[in-house]
Amino acid sequence: MEVDREDGRSQNQLRPLACSSNILHRAHGSASWSQGDTKVLAAVYGPKAGTKKNENPEKACIEVIWKPKTGQIGKLEKEYEMILKRTLQSICILTVNPNTTTSVIIQVVNDDGALLPSAINAACMALVDAGIPMRHLAVSICCCVARSGLVILDPTKLEEQNMKAFAYLVFPNSVHSVLPEGSLSVQGEPIENGIITSVTHGVMSVDDYFYCLEQGRAASTKLSDFLRRNLQQQSTDSSKAG
Amino acid sequence: MENKQSSSPASFIDSTIVPGDVVLDLSSMTNQTIKLGGGLRQDCDVISAMKAGTLRFSKPNKYWIESSQKRYVPCVEDTVLGIVVDSKADNFLIDIKGPTLAFLPVLAFEGGTRRNIPKFELGTLLYLRVVKANFGMNPELSCTDASGKAAEFGPLKDGYMFETSTGLSRKLLSSPTCPVLEALGKKLSFEIAVGLNGRVWVNAASPDTVVVVANAIMNSESLSTAQQIIMVEHLLKNIQ
Repeated sequence: MEVDREDGRSQNQLRPLACSSNILHRAHGSASWSQGDTKVLAAVYGPKAGTKKNENPEKACIEVIWKPKTGQIGKLEKEYEMILKRTLQSICILTVNPNTTTSVIIQVVNDDGALLPSAINAACMALVDAGIPMRHLAVSICCCVARSGLVILDPTKLEEQNMKAFAYLVFPNSVHSVLPEGSLSVQGEPIENGIITSVTHGVMSVDDYFYCLEQGRAASTKLSDFLRRNLQQQSTDSSKAG
Repeated sequence: MENKQSSSPASFIDSTIVPGDVVLDLSSMTNQTIKLGGGLRQDCDVISAMKAGTLRFSKPNKYWIESSQKRYVPCVEDTVLGIVVDSKADNFLIDIKGPTLAFLPVLAFEGGTRRNIPKFELGTLLYLRVVKANFGMNPELSCTDASGKAAEFGPLKDGYMFETSTGLSRKLLSSPTCPVLEALGKKLSFEIAVGLNGRVWVNAASPDTVVVVANAIMNSESLSTAQQIIMVEHLLKNIQ
């Protein structure tokens, strides 16, 4: 079934990605992530001494602040903060710096669809820039189901509004290993086949959801490669001086 | 056996690593003691990376990830520049840009007794040595070297302190001398203290010299040797 997307992309094609890190002078780690016209800025401060009141002092605490482009902070922003906090808590190793707080601040620069996935990608790059210890990276993607039943990836805001349902999916990145293929696995499946977060809106059938997961996972390998190339480029830039 | 173990780890040494990458397989290296430096952790039978950076190996058995950050991870025997934040009965509380504040015992000075405890104002800059840096505890510092002598540790008077990344601090302290410091040293006379925690202190007879040295060091982070020398010449031309 051919699909007619406004910007001429195919079903599974992502928008052009751009990422830069270490852009903010005062933040301990920062990154800017853009997918097409959606642009998000993430800043990380920490680890700083002391945890918040209801947090476990034997682990590091992650605090997320979401700043929308316009308007006051409301329930939607609080929900994004909670989702981001849970996702980041599962990728960071919290036992390395006990009794500390790391603050992640997300500033929405422009929202043109797939906002939460862009924010998760930006936050992950900012944490890497700050040197926070992590288990692996997180790559995030938005899949939606159109009224016609077609599944498309990385929608723009207009496309998102016309969809029957959409899902934000976060996967672990693909890992380079010295071990032979298939030996780094959890219960018989490689780490990349896991899923970290899934947020769904709207109504979709179970088959559609599993199809979204498959497409999302395939696209996440492309995102993983993009992240790796980006990090490699940054380290060659800084080591040229050595 | 020797061929097998030298081919797999060698494939990642000196290349860029991303958090999650598995860099060593311990099941193929029994009977060996391996020392892990910063950025690596043990996960059952494999060693995987926690930070992004370059994997380095030093004979006979040390592996670590080299990366440059704005915050500092305290390590024993590092020399750092700390700022006094508070003073308690037994310790001064010092900020060294780490996850927690560090303690400087009140007696950790040459000839220090209960009668001659130094009085540091809040905000004093000190050149210190890290004595203890254990997991879960605040690091402990000292103003003496290992044998108890003062050896240039202590408060730094006058001058100007600025912050850099940890990678640039290591480059400034590397030997042979960093190109930017050598080029500056040929024409200007100044005093400098570099903390491995990303703080640098410069002092010179005139403020112009201090500003030129500080700017030259801050600019040199992403430049190659030749570019650093050209940049320093350019800056020096403007003040002479």
